[in-house]
Amino acid sequence: MNAVTTSPDAIRAAADRLHTAASSGVACDPVRDLLAAGDADAAYAVQAINTERALAAGRRLVGRKIGLTSVAVQKQLGVGQPDYGMLFADMARCDAEDIVLADVLQAKVEAEIAFVLGADLDHDQLTVVDLLRAIDFALPAIEIVGSRVRNWDIRLTDTIADNASSGLYVLGSRPVAIDDFDPRLCGMVMEQAGEPVSVGAGAACMGSPLNAALWLARVMARVGKPLREGDTILSGALGPMVTVRPGDVFDVRIEGLGAVRAAFARE
Amino acid sequence: MTSLAALAAIVDEAASSATAVPQLTETITDLSVDDAYAVQALSIARRRARGERRAGYKMGLTSRAKMQQVGVSEIIWGRLTDAMRLTEGGELSRARYVHPRVEPEIAYIIGRPLAGEVSAAEALAAVEAIAPALEIIDSRYRDFKFTLPDVIADNSSSSGFFVGSWARPSADVSNLGILMEVDGRPVQIGSSAAILGNPIRSLLAAARLVARAGERLEPGDIVLAGGATAAHPLTPGQHIRTTFQALGIVAFTVIT
Repeated sequence: MNAVTTSPDAIRAAADRLHTAASSGVACDPVRDLLAAGDADAAYAVQAINTERALAAGRRLVGRKIGLTSVAVQKQLGVGQPDYGMLFADMARCDAEDIVLADVLQAKVEAEIAFVLGADLDHDQLTVVDLLRAIDFALPAIEIVGSRVRNWDIRLTDTIADNASSGLYVLGSRPVAIDDFDPRLCGMVMEQAGEPVSVGAGAACMGSPLNAALWLARVMARVGKPLREGDTILSGALGPMVTVRPGDVFDVRIEGLGAVRAAFARE
Repeated sequence: MTSLAALAAIVDEAASSATAVPQLTETITDLSVDDAYAVQALSIARRRARGERRAGYKMGLTSRAKMQQVGVSEIIWGRLTDAMRLTEGGELSRARYVHPRVEPEIAYIIGRPLAGEVSAAEALAAVEAIAPALEIIDSRYRDFKFTLPDVIADNSSSSGFFVGSWARPSADVSNLGILMEVDGRPVQIGSSAAILGNPIRSLLAAARLVARAGERLEPGDIVLAGGATAAHPLTPGQHIRTTFQALGIVAFTVIT
């Protein structure tokens, strides 16, 4: 690990830069010039400042998203771990409702499995059994990722600081019990105008979306912000992400889990 | 002017001796797709003359990604013989191929004759069983590089196949997760939906395309619907294990 640390002033400056980009709708430069190379702790400190800002503004925290869950994306960024960001209630969109593309910067879509918790995961030594017992139900999901950083020019610290490049998300509307589908082997297809534009399976997300969710639960417990009953977990992409243009409609089917649609308004 | 029979001899001998050859279109620059299918039929006739028996058909370029790779917008097909069939759970000898790759597929086993323009319902009524499968593709051309007529003449790169346990034809195989592992490590992850959005569309294309060549799908034929992921190169010592959601596992070991 790099011994060089990032100054509090630099962390504040990075948070301000990303916050300004988000509120103005104009993408900014990366923030890695302000942070020590590979300093993930500093990047999470940047994220935390903007989380506090959101909560102070009255935004409701409803869960977490997990990013960098595919081996290919981890290799691309030279990391061996996923990352996480916050989900707020105002990021949720309904199945098939028109989504305003301007609500997210540089949108891309990816298909995921969402887990909704029916119990707290606040133990400091969690196992997959705790996770399975805590999952109330699963839903098919489309995450609309975005980046406040111009042209998605991101390294690890940029995406962590930028709330793990989160944007909006759409959930399906038929809850499925965790033992009623196969989270590891379920096939996934995302179609646009009848063409499969992204295909994959549960195993593409860290071997299983449950592995990703357990990683998140352990990290959250360790940093003293444990996952709570009612939280939504977006567990990570099951296939490659796809760029969005105005008017695009994406239909995702996950075998055994059902279907969900992200429909973007024509501008 | 080189005859089509002479071209068939070139690809047949390249396949049987596991030797790479230059692309046919390097010398026959105007080789048409129709001529290429004629070369393929003639090369299979040579195998039949040596005692190999008909085993079915394979469909190729069944995903948009692969069509774009070759720069075409149509599905291609090839012919399977019994000598290409390999034993599930057994071994594959690397030396018998030029540069073999494996890809996961869905196989349809035909129970009643099928040809021409048919509906999905008619096609499914002719299917006796569905199975998970692995196809060994091995271009006989140098560096695995070819034009569309080249690959068609070369039996659409088909050179071997493994078929797993049969499932009922009513099994929904439209979006099954597929996990291909080498020595227990994932190398390809995908879904059967990559095959034209639903593998049944590939079976309809098979019925249509072989009818155009005056043939039909016969009882006992196996139709390989096309690759569900990118193909993975094979080297001796690898254990290939592919798990298909709801259909089971197809595995083999690569030897020298």
